[in-house]
Amino acid sequence: MSVQNDTPKKLPVPPGMSRRHFLMALAGTAAFWTADEFADWRQAIAAEAAQTYTPRYFTPDEWRFLEAATEQLFPQDETGPGAKALGVVGFIDRQMDTPYGRGGLWFMSGPFREGPANLGYQLPYAPREIYRLGIAGADRYCRDHHGNAFADLDHPTQIEVLTAFEKLPIMFGETLTAGIFFEQLRTNTMEGAFSDPIHGGNRHLGGWVMLGFPGARADFMDWVDQYGPAYPLGSVSISGETA
Amino acid sequence: MRGLRFALCLAVFPPVASAHAATPSDDLIRQGEYVARAADCAACHSVRGQAPFAGGVPFDLPMGRIYSPNITPDPDHGIGGDTEEQFSRAIREGVRKDGASMYPAMPFPSYARLTDADVHALFVYFRYGVKPVATTPPASTIVWPLSMRWPLTLWRGMFSPAPHQAAAKTTQRSFPDPVLARGAYLVEGAGHCGACHTPRALSLQEKALTAADGDLYLSGGGSVDGWHPPSLRQDNRTGLGRWSENDIVAFLRGARASEGSAFGGMADAVEHGTQYLTDDDLHAIARYLRSLPARKTPDPVWKYDAATETALRRGDVSARGARVYVDHCAACHRDDGRGYPSVFPPLAGNPVVMDEQPDSLITLLYKGAIVPASHNAPSAFVMPPYAHVLSEQQMADVLSFIRGAWGNDAAAVDVEAVRKRTPKGSGAGGAKMPLN
Amino acid sequence: MTTKNADAIVVGAGWAGSILAKELTEAGLKVVMLERGPDRATAVEGAYPDSIDELRGAIRHRLFQDLSRTTVTIRNKIGQTALPYRQLSAFLPGEGVGGAGLHWSGVHFRAAPDDLALRSSVIARYGQKFIPEGMNLQDYGVTYDELEPFFDKAEKVFGTSGEAYKVNGKVVGNGNVFAPSRSDDFPLPPLKDVYTANLFRKAAGEAGYHPYSLPAANASRQYTNPYGAQMGPCNFCGYCSGYDCYMYSKASPNVNILPVLRKDPNFTLITRAHVMRVDLDSTKTRATGVTYLDLDSNREVTITADLVVLGAFQFHNVHLMLLSGVGKPYDAQKNEGVVGRNFVYQTITTSRAWLPENTFTNQFIGTGGGGVAIDDFNSMNFDHGPHGFVGGSPVWVNQAGVKPIAASTIGGGKDAPRWGAGYKKALVDTYRHAMAIDAHGSNMAYRDVFLDLDPTWKNAYGQPLLRMTFDWQDNDIRMNRYVVSQIEPIMKALGATKYELGMLEPGKPFDTRIYQTTHLGGGAVMGDDPNTSAINRYLQSWDVPNVFVIGSNAFPQGMGYNPTGMVAALAYWSAHHIRTTYLKSPGPLVRV
Repeated sequence: MSVQNDTPKKLPVPPGMSRRHFLMALAGTAAFWTADEFADWRQAIAAEAAQTYTPRYFTPDEWRFLEAATEQLFPQDETGPGAKALGVVGFIDRQMDTPYGRGGLWFMSGPFREGPANLGYQLPYAPREIYRLGIAGADRYCRDHHGNAFADLDHPTQIEVLTAFEKLPIMFGETLTAGIFFEQLRTNTMEGAFSDPIHGGNRHLGGWVMLGFPGARADFMDWVDQYGPAYPLGSVSISGETA
Repeated sequence: MRGLRFALCLAVFPPVASAHAATPSDDLIRQGEYVARAADCAACHSVRGQAPFAGGVPFDLPMGRIYSPNITPDPDHGIGGDTEEQFSRAIREGVRKDGASMYPAMPFPSYARLTDADVHALFVYFRYGVKPVATTPPASTIVWPLSMRWPLTLWRGMFSPAPHQAAAKTTQRSFPDPVLARGAYLVEGAGHCGACHTPRALSLQEKALTAADGDLYLSGGGSVDGWHPPSLRQDNRTGLGRWSENDIVAFLRGARASEGSAFGGMADAVEHGTQYLTDDDLHAIARYLRSLPARKTPDPVWKYDAATETALRRGDVSARGARVYVDHCAACHRDDGRGYPSVFPPLAGNPVVMDEQPDSLITLLYKGAIVPASHNAPSAFVMPPYAHVLSEQQMADVLSFIRGAWGNDAAAVDVEAVRKRTPKGSGAGGAKMPLN
Repeated sequence: MTTKNADAIVVGAGWAGSILAKELTEAGLKVVMLERGPDRATAVEGAYPDSIDELRGAIRHRLFQDLSRTTVTIRNKIGQTALPYRQLSAFLPGEGVGGAGLHWSGVHFRAAPDDLALRSSVIARYGQKFIPEGMNLQDYGVTYDELEPFFDKAEKVFGTSGEAYKVNGKVVGNGNVFAPSRSDDFPLPPLKDVYTANLFRKAAGEAGYHPYSLPAANASRQYTNPYGAQMGPCNFCGYCSGYDCYMYSKASPNVNILPVLRKDPNFTLITRAHVMRVDLDSTKTRATGVTYLDLDSNREVTITADLVVLGAFQFHNVHLMLLSGVGKPYDAQKNEGVVGRNFVYQTITTSRAWLPENTFTNQFIGTGGGGVAIDDFNSMNFDHGPHGFVGGSPVWVNQAGVKPIAASTIGGGKDAPRWGAGYKKALVDTYRHAMAIDAHGSNMAYRDVFLDLDPTWKNAYGQPLLRMTFDWQDNDIRMNRYVVSQIEPIMKALGATKYELGMLEPGKPFDTRIYQTTHLGGGAVMGDDPNTSAINRYLQSWDVPNVFVIGSNAFPQGMGYNPTGMVAALAYWSAHHIRTTYLKSPGPLVRV
C-alpha cells in the first residue's frame, strides 16, 4: 500500500535531497509558509543533506554504548523492530543539537541544590551533558564490575547492568545518579521509537506500525463510531512517507 | 408580454436614504468609494500592506512587465491634476491624459458602461476621499518597439466600445425586472467579471462583453497566475448551475458558500470588492448570473455517486490516488467529498474540480490557498501547500481521483499536465497568513 | 523607558484576557493587551499536517511556558526548602497568544451550584464540625443563578457541544441529571461517543450510575459564534491537549474571539511583553498602569491606564500581585493576609481496563473535550456523611487521543516491565485493547497550602520566583480513594479481562515529575470578606479597586470540574459589571 516517497522534485526540494530530509530541516519553521524565506531553507537543508548519517554530538564510543543500550531497552523481537532498526540513536544524536539537548527548555539557573526525588530534577546538566557524563560513568561501572565496556558485554550482563542503573543507588561521579541517566536514556529511546520519522527515528514508521498508530493522517470522522474492529489504514508521516 | 425596460436607475451606488443627512460631497465621496469597491480598483492599484491606490502592482504581459499607476490625488505622482473629463476618458475609454492608449489590463471595455453619475462619484472619491501618496511605481519593462503605444490605440479602436455605444447597448436591452438590469450593469460594467471569466481572443480582447454578445460571455476565462477562472453560466457541472441565488450572495459576501469557497484571484476580488456591496446589489448580481443559460449542449447533470464514500469508509484505498486522498485531503474534504461547507469546501460536485482545465487544482496543491477574512466572515481558512509533501505523480493521482469520485466524472490529470503547470515559487503566494 | 497610554490594560492573551479585551473594546475603551509569548495562529504553526507532531507538541511543549526564563519553586510543606520546577511535567501553563486556551483539551463545564457555595452547603447538610481543622472552606460569593447568563454566553462563544438535561426547568434530554437548569440548550449537539466512551456509557448505566456526554468546546459540527467567528467540526484527530487545532474546531481565543478583536481599531495587542509589575500610586490604592519588559529590545515600557485587568494564568496573576503589592500577602504562620492564600489544585487519578484481544479500542481516536462522565460522586450529589470528607469527583472516559510517545510512558500497566521485550509486548497490548477511566476531583484549600515569593531563586529578569507550598491532604486522598473504589462495578460491567484502579496513596507526597493536571486554582480568591478573599465577587481587588483579577485564581477551592468554563463565565460576569456599573462610577463595586 506504499506510495512513492522519494521522487526527486524540481521544486522546492533541492536535487539530491529526499523529501524526508527536507522536512526534517523545515518542519515547524515559519519559513515553511512563505516563499520569501526560500533562500534560508536551502542553507538549512544543505546541512541536513548527508544521505548517510554522521553523528553530530556523540563520539564513536558513546555511539557504541547507545546502540547497545537502546537495543536492550527496545529490542528487536517478535513484537516489532528494535531501537537499531528504528534509528533511535540517530534520533537522540539529533536531539542533542536542539534547544532541548542544550537544556534550553529547562530552568537552568542556580543555585542547584539536592532535594527529595518528588521535587524533580535539580542538576545543572543539560541532556547532552547527562549523556556525556552518564555514558562515561556507565562504561566505567561496566569495566569496574564486568571488565569491559557496556557494548562488549553479553546480553544477559547488559540487562543486569541496566537493571542496576534503573533500581540501585549508583553514582556516576559526584552528583549524577545512574537512575537519572537511565531515565533520560529510556525517555529518549521511546521518543526515538515513536516520534514522527521527520525527527530521524521511527524509521520506515516501524514503531507506529508495531503499535497500530496511523500517524499524521489525523482524521477519524468516519471511524469514530465504527466500534470494535481494528482501524485498517496504514501509517503516514508528516513528510508523506507511508507504511 | 415582453419584458419592461429598466435602464434609467443604473447608477452603481445604492439610493441614499436621506440625501440631506450629510453634506452632498460626503455622500458623493461615500458613493464614489462604493463604486470603487464595486469596480475593484484596489485589486490592481493597491499593494497589500502599502498605502491604498498608490499603484505598483506588477502585471506580466506577453511583451513584458507593467506596473499599475498611482491613482491617488497626488498632483505629481498620482491623478490629482486630472480634470474630470480626463479621468472619465481614462476610466471608460482607456485614454491617458497625454492622449496615449492604456494597456487593456485596465478593463475600460467594461467600465465603458459606467454611468456619468457613477464616474462623477468615482472622480470625487479619488479626488477627496483618498489620501495622496507621493510615490511613482516602477517603470514598465517593455522595450521598444513593443513599448510603442499606437498599436494599443488601434486595439482600442477595434475592440473597446465607445461609452455612448456601450451605454446604449445596455439601455436598449430588455430585462424582465429592474433587479436583473442592475445585475447586468454591475457584472458587465463596474464588476468587469468578464475580464477574467470570459475567454479572450488571440488579440487579447474578451470574446464577448455582455450577455447579449453570445454564450461565450462568462463561459470561463484563460488561466491567470495558475488560476483558471471557471464558467459563471448555468452549466450544471462546470458552471453555477447548481448554485442557488443565496449561495452566490454568500460567496460574494464572505468568500464562502455551501457549494464552494473563494481562492486565488477571486479571494482578492471578495476581499477588496464584493464583500462591501449591499445585499440588494449582491442579489442583483446573483440573479443576473443565474439568468445566463448553460453554454454546453448537452449539459449533463451532476449526481452524487456514493461508491467512493462506501469504499473509503470500509478502508478500501485500492483506487489509484485514494490513499493519497485519505492521507492528506480527507481530513477536511471528507471521505464523502462533501467537505464541511462554508469552512472546508466540498470537492463532490464542485465546478472547479470538474473544470476541463485542472490548472486551479494543480496550483491549489502546490501553493495552498487562503479563504480570506471579511467583515461579514471574520475567520480566514487556509489550505496548506503540498509541494513539499506530494510528488508530481502523487498530485496527478490524487487529482485524477477527486475528478473521478463522487459522480464528478471529469477527465484524469496526467503527470505531464502537473509538471507543465508547476507554478513559480511556493507557499501561498507570499500572502500574510491569517491570524486565527 | 518609554511611556504609552491606554484606557485599559489587559495582561495575558488567553481566555480571560481576550474576553475582557473584547468586552472593554465593545464598551468603547482603548485597550492594550500584553502577552509575554509570541503571536500564534492556526495557519502558521497549527497547520495540517505539521502540527500533528507529538514530539514538538506535547513532548517538547511547543505551546507551553518557557521555563528557561521563569518558573516556580515547589515544596511539600512549611520548613522544607522549595526547589525550582525545572522541567515541565506536573502542570503545563501556556505561553503566547491564546495562552492555555490554545493548548487546552476543551472540556467545558458550568459550575455545580453547590460548589459555588460549598461552605454553606456543607454546613447546612452536615454541620460546621464536618469541616476538618485547617481547611479554609469558602463560598464564592456568587451564585449559579447569577452566573447562568454568562455560562450561556461563554458556551455560545465557544461553540460548545453537549446534551442538556433541563432547560428552563423542563427535562429536555439525556444530559447530566445532576446538572442545574439552563436558560438555553447547548449551541451544538453532543459529540459522537468514541468506542470506549460508549462502552463506559453502557457499563456505568448497568452499574446504576447516570452517564452523560461531557460538554465539549470541540465543535460537533461547523459553527459560527455570535461574534461571527467560525469553527470547523472536530474530526477526532486526537490532537487537542498540547496542540493548536488545525481543524479550527477546538475553541480558543485565537479562533473564537481574536479574529474580530484584532480588527477593532480600539484594540492593540503587544506580544513578547513580559509584565514586570502593576504600577501603583503613592497611596497604594490606585494602579496607574503597568510596566513591562519588551523582550526584543530588552527595555522597560510603562503604560498608563485607568483600569488594569490581570488575565494571566492563575499563578502568574498571584505572582504579579505579590510583586506589585496589590493586596496583602498571605502569612501562613499568622493566618493573615489574602494574596497567596487558598492555593488549590485538583486530584486526578487514572484507572485502566483491558478488553479482550479481539476488541480494539483504537485509543488514538479521540477528542479533548468529549467523552462520557458520571457525576454520581461529584459535588454534593451523594451523602458524604458516612465518609467524613468534603468534595467529590466526576468519573469519566475522556479519550483525548492517545499518541505513541505518551503511550510509551503509560506502558503496559502497573506490573508490566518498563523496558525490554516484555515491555514492548505489554505496551502494544495496552495500546490496542485498553481504556482509561479518570477520577478528576476536587481539592480543598488548607491553611498551610499557599503561594508566596521564594527567598532564593530569581527569574531571568531578576524577580523572585513564586513559591508553591503544596501537598495532598488526608481529606482529598480519602475522597479520591472512595470515588475510585466506586469505579469497580463499572469495570465489572465492562467485561474487562483485567483492570487496575488508580488512587492517591496516603503518605506519598505530591510528585512534580508526573503530569497530573494544569488545573491550578486559588491564591487570589473571590469572596464576600476582605479578610479571606483578595478580590470581591466581581473579581475586583479589594485594596486597589481599579485592578480586576480574572482567572481560576478566584476559585476558593478546586472543584471536580475542569475550570475553563467557570473562568470564562466569571470573565463575562466581571466584564458585565465593569461595563454597567464600574465605568460609570469607578470605585469599589462592593463596600464593606
